[in-house]
Amino acid sequence: MTGRGAARRVTLLALLAVLAAWPWLAPYFAIFLMTEILILGLFAASFNLLFGYTGLLSFGHAAYFGTGAYVAALLLRDMAPPFLAVLAAAAVGAAVVALVIGWFSVRLTEVYFAMLTLAFGMMVYALVHQWRGLTGGSDGVAGFPLTAPLPGVAVNIADPVNYYYLTLILVAVSAYVLHRITVSPFGLILRSLRENSERASFAGVPVRRYRLAAFVVSGLFSGLAGALFAPFNRIAVPEMAHWTQSAEPVLMTILGGSQYFFGPFLGAGVFLLLRQWITSYTQEWMFFLGVILAFLVVFLPRGLLGLFDRWLGGRS
Amino acid sequence: MQRARLLFAMLAALLLAAAPAAAQEKQPIRIGAIYILSGAFATYGEFARNGIQLAVDEINESGGILGRPVAFMMEDSQGKANVAIQAARKLVFQENVDLLMGLDSSGVANGIAPVVPELQRPFLITHAASPDVTGKLCNKWLFRNSVNVNQNMKAAALVAKELDARRWTTIGPDYAFGHQSWEFFQKYLKAEKPDVEFMAETAFPKFGAEDFTPFINAVIAAKPDGVLISEWGGDLVNFVRQANNLGFFDQDFELLMTLGAATEVLYALGDQMPEGKWVGTRYWFLGKDTPRNKAFVEAYHKRFGNYPSYNAQNAYAGVYTFKAAIEKADTVEPERVIEAMSGLEVEAPIGTYTIRREDHQALVDGFWGVTKASGDYPIRILEPMRVFAAADITPPPEETGCNLQQTAEQ
Repeated sequence: MTGRGAARRVTLLALLAVLAAWPWLAPYFAIFLMTEILILGLFAASFNLLFGYTGLLSFGHAAYFGTGAYVAALLLRDMAPPFLAVLAAAAVGAAVVALVIGWFSVRLTEVYFAMLTLAFGMMVYALVHQWRGLTGGSDGVAGFPLTAPLPGVAVNIADPVNYYYLTLILVAVSAYVLHRITVSPFGLILRSLRENSERASFAGVPVRRYRLAAFVVSGLFSGLAGALFAPFNRIAVPEMAHWTQSAEPVLMTILGGSQYFFGPFLGAGVFLLLRQWITSYTQEWMFFLGVILAFLVVFLPRGLLGLFDRWLGGRS
Repeated sequence: MQRARLLFAMLAALLLAAAPAAAQEKQPIRIGAIYILSGAFATYGEFARNGIQLAVDEINESGGILGRPVAFMMEDSQGKANVAIQAARKLVFQENVDLLMGLDSSGVANGIAPVVPELQRPFLITHAASPDVTGKLCNKWLFRNSVNVNQNMKAAALVAKELDARRWTTIGPDYAFGHQSWEFFQKYLKAEKPDVEFMAETAFPKFGAEDFTPFINAVIAAKPDGVLISEWGGDLVNFVRQANNLGFFDQDFELLMTLGAATEVLYALGDQMPEGKWVGTRYWFLGKDTPRNKAFVEAYHKRFGNYPSYNAQNAYAGVYTFKAAIEKADTVEPERVIEAMSGLEVEAPIGTYTIRREDHQALVDGFWGVTKASGDYPIRILEPMRVFAAADITPPPEETGCNLQQTAEQ
C-alpha cells in the first residue's frame, strides 16, 4: 500500500515537473496549447464531479464556464481589479448561477436532468448573446487589460509564459481540491448516489441537497476555468456559453475515462491535440474528429485510461 | 501499482506531444492568411485564397521578393474572433510566418486588434470594415487596404442624398458591422440632407440567421421610403431569395445594399438578384480601365473561371502591398516592414492607393452602381456605376479616433 502510494506520488511529482519545465521543453506554440489543455481539463474535471462521481449528466455546463468568462472579461474591462480577485469573483458568480439552475435541475435525473440543464444553458447563452448593451452581443467582450495577479505583484500575465504558469498553479490547486473532495466522506456519498440513490435516501442521505452541493462545486470550478479561458483568448464570446461548449467536457471526459480522476485531463489533452493535428491537414476537422470519437466511444467504453489500465494489467 | 504506471504512461504521452519541434526551412517569405473557410461564408475565403494564390505565383515567377520565394498558408477563422486569435498565434509561433493578412468580419477584426501587438508581425486586414481597427483600436502593427464602414457609408449617403426617400430604416446583421453601418449612414446622410428621418423600427437578424422572413415582413409593414441593407455573404444570398418570394423588391421604397455587388453574392444569386437596385462594393472588376486592372481580371478569370470579387482583389493587392513594403525596407524584419508600410504607395488593380500614416487605412475608392442584367456576363453588372474617389469618402484622420503616436509607446 505504501509502495503504491509512494510510486504514485513520485509519478505525480514528475508530471508536475514536466509541466513546470514545459516552456523550456516544448516549442513556443506548445505553451498556448498546454495552457488550453489545462484550462479545458479543469473544466472537464469539474464537469466529471457531477458526471463520473455523482452520476448526473449535465448538458449545460457552458452556462457556468460562460458566466466565468463573461464576469472575468467585464470586470477586467470596466474595473480592472487584481487578476486573482477577478478569478475569485468569476468563480463565485458561476457558483451562484449554478445554485439557481441546480436548485431546479437536481429535482430530476437521467435524461430529464440532461434536458433541463441544456435548456438552462441555452437561456444563459441567449442572455449573453442578446444583451448587446452589456455583453457586446455576438462581438463579445474584447480589448480588456490583463491586470497584475495581486496588488504589488508586478508580473505581466499578458506574457504567454507567465499566463501558462498562473494557469498551471491554479489548475493544479483546483485539481488537488477536487481530488480531495472526491475521496472525502462527501465524495463517497456522491458515489453512493451514483450507484443507488434510492438506497442512499433510505439510509438517511438528503439526496437533493448533496446533488445540489456537487452541482454548485462543479459550477464553481467550471466558472474558474471560464475565467481563465476568456483572458487566455483575450475575448469572451457567446460561443463560450453555447451548448457546443457544453459538449466539449462531455466528449473529453468520455474520451479520457469518466471513472478516473485524471481522465478528463487526459481527454482534454487528446481532444485538443487531435484538433490541432487534424486542422493542419483539413478544415473539415469536425468530421474526422467525429469519426475518431465515435470509434473510441464504441470500442473503449471506459475511455483511454480504461484502455491503459487494462494494458498495464489492472482491473478486468 | 497500476495507477502509478498509468500516470507514468500519461507522462510519456506528454513528452511525445512536445516532440515535433519545428525544424523550419527559413528560405521562403511566409505569409499567414486568416479567412472564413467553412460555413455559409466560405466563398469569401475561397475568393481570397484565389487572389493570394494568383499574386504569389506571379511574384514567384518573376523572381520573388528580394530574391526569396513567397509561400502562404491559410487558417479558418470560422468568422469567430477567438478562433482567429488562436489561428494567428499558431501561424506566428508555430508556422513562423513573417506576415499576417486576412479577416472577413468586423467582429473578428475588433476582437483580434488588441492582440496583434503581441504577435509582432505586420497584420494587413483585407476585408473587415470595422472603423475601430483604424480608429480607437488602431496600433502600429495593423493596416487595412479595404474600404471601411466610414468610406462605404459616406458613399452610400452620397447616393442616398439624390434618391427621393426621406424616411430610412435598415436591415443588417446583429453585430458590430450591421450596427456601425447604420450609425455611420445616419451620420453622413444627416449631414448631406438634414430633412431625412431615421426610423426607430430597425431589423438586426442574427449573423448567419437562415430565416429572414419576419424581418422582411416587419420592414414591409413599416412602410419606409428607403432601406439600407448591410447583410452580406451567405446572409445576403438567403435574404434576397426570401425577399424575392415575399415581394420585398416590388415595394415602393428605395434600396441600398451596401455589399450587394460582391461577386460571390452575384454568382450565388444569378438571375435572382433583382435589377435596378443600388448595390455597393469595395472593388468592382469593371470599375477601372487601367491596364493593371484589365490584366488582373483577365488572369483571374482565365485561371479560376469567374470574375474577381473585392475579397479576391484585396487579398491579391495585399500580397503586392507586402512586396512593396519589403522591397522598400530591404528586409522582412517586422519592425522595418511596418515602418515601410506606413505611407506606402501601392499599385493595385483597384488603383494606386496610399496607406495613410495617421491611421494605416488605405485610401481606396468606393464603388456603387445599379444592378443590370447583361448578355456579356453571367452575373448582374453595375449600370450606371459610380466610383467615389477615396479623398471624397474618407474621413480626415482626426475624426477616426486613432492616435498612433500614443499607441506606439505601448
